[in-house]
Amino acid sequence: MAMMPARVKYRKMQRGSRTGIASRGNSVAFGEYGLQALERCWMDTKQIEAARVAITRFMKRRGKVWIRIFPDKSFTKKPLEVRMGTGKGGVESWVAVIRPASILFEVDGVSEGVAREAMRLAASKLPISTKFIVRHKLT
Amino acid sequence: MKSIALSANSRTLFRRKGSRKVRAGGRIPAVIYGRHNPPQSLELDAKEFELIVHKAHSEIILVDLTVSGDDKPARLAIVQDVQHHPLTGATLHVDLHEVKADEKVTIEVPVEAVGVPEGVKTGGGTLEHVRFRLKVRCLPKDLPDHINVDVSALKVGDTLHIGEIAAPEGVELLGDKKIPVFAVAAPVAAEAETTAAPAEGAAAAAGEAKQPEMIKEKKDDAAAAAKPGDKAAAKKK
Repeated sequence: MAMMPARVKYRKMQRGSRTGIASRGNSVAFGEYGLQALERCWMDTKQIEAARVAITRFMKRRGKVWIRIFPDKSFTKKPLEVRMGTGKGGVESWVAVIRPASILFEVDGVSEGVAREAMRLAASKLPISTKFIVRHKLT
Repeated sequence: MKSIALSANSRTLFRRKGSRKVRAGGRIPAVIYGRHNPPQSLELDAKEFELIVHKAHSEIILVDLTVSGDDKPARLAIVQDVQHHPLTGATLHVDLHEVKADEKVTIEVPVEAVGVPEGVKTGGGTLEHVRFRLKVRCLPKDLPDHINVDVSALKVGDTLHIGEIAAPEGVELLGDKKIPVFAVAAPVAAEAETTAAPAEGAAAAAGEAKQPEMIKEKKDDAAAAAKPGDKAAAKKK
C-alpha cells in the first residue's frame, strides 16, 4: 500500500528547503539497529516501500520493523511535450524530505548480522548513501 | 561503582563561537553543577574523556574531578549527559553532576536483557524492548552502570514490568511498578506478507490514481470576496 497522507488541506505544495542536517528523528528510538541517511533527498513512496519490502523479506517476518519517515509532501509534474505555463502540473507522487542524519528504518528482534544484511538490501533501493547504526549502547 | 580520576580546566570561552574554538583545540566543553556549589564551565581533554567512556560499560560514570588551578580537592561527580554529533558521533558537550558520597542520587540507568526468552526460542515470538532506561535512586558507591534482567522465562504474550525486576543491592527502582520493560510479542501472521505481496503491484497502479482526501480545497466565496476589501482597507490606512 503506497504511503501518503489520508487527508490534506492543500494538494499542491511549494518546494521548500532541504538545507542543514536533521535535528529531529536523528537517533535510534525504537529498535536496536537503524539505517541513517548520509545525504539529502526527496524519497518517494515507491522507494520507501521497496526498501520496506526488502527488509521484511530478508527477515522472513521475524523481528520488528519501524519506518521512521513518512511521505507527507506532494510533488507535481507537467505531462510530456506540454508547453510551459497554464498553471502548476498535476500531483505526481508523495515524498519524504530526507536530511543527513535522519533515521530511515529501524529493526529489532533479530541478530546484528541479519539486521545488517536486511539494511544493506534496503539501502540498495534508496537514492542516497546510508549508514547502518546500532543503538548507542552507552546512552 | 568505582570513581575514575578525570582532570579538567576552567573554561573562559563560551557560547557557540567559544565552544567551537574549544573543540578545535582537541578539548570538550563541559559544565559541572550540583546542589552545594554554583555551576562552573569546564573543558575536558577529548582523548582522555573518550578513553574513559570507551572502557566503561555505559555512560553512567562516576568521576573524581580535579580542576586545575582550583583550590578545592577532587570533586565527586556523575556524568549526567553526553551530547553527540548526530552524524559523526563526536562528543560535543558533557554535563557533570556533582554529588556527595553520602547523599542518594536519582539517575536513569540502561537496562539490558540477558538470555533468550522461551517464547522466542520455541514460539517464534519477538522480544520487544519497551523501556531502555530505568530511573534508580541510590548512593553513588552503589550506582550500577547498567541493570541486567533475565528474560529467559518469558513466553509469547508475557510482559515483564518494573515491579518484577530485582534491583541490585542498595538500589531503589523508581517509577510505576506496572510499566512494562520487556515483552514477547506473538509472531507476525503468515498472511500479512502474502496479502502484502500481491498488493505491491496493485498499490503501485492504484497509488497513481488514489489521492488523499481534501480537508478544504476551495476557499469560501464569502471569504474570497472579503479579502480584496480587506486589502483595500489596509492600503487606505
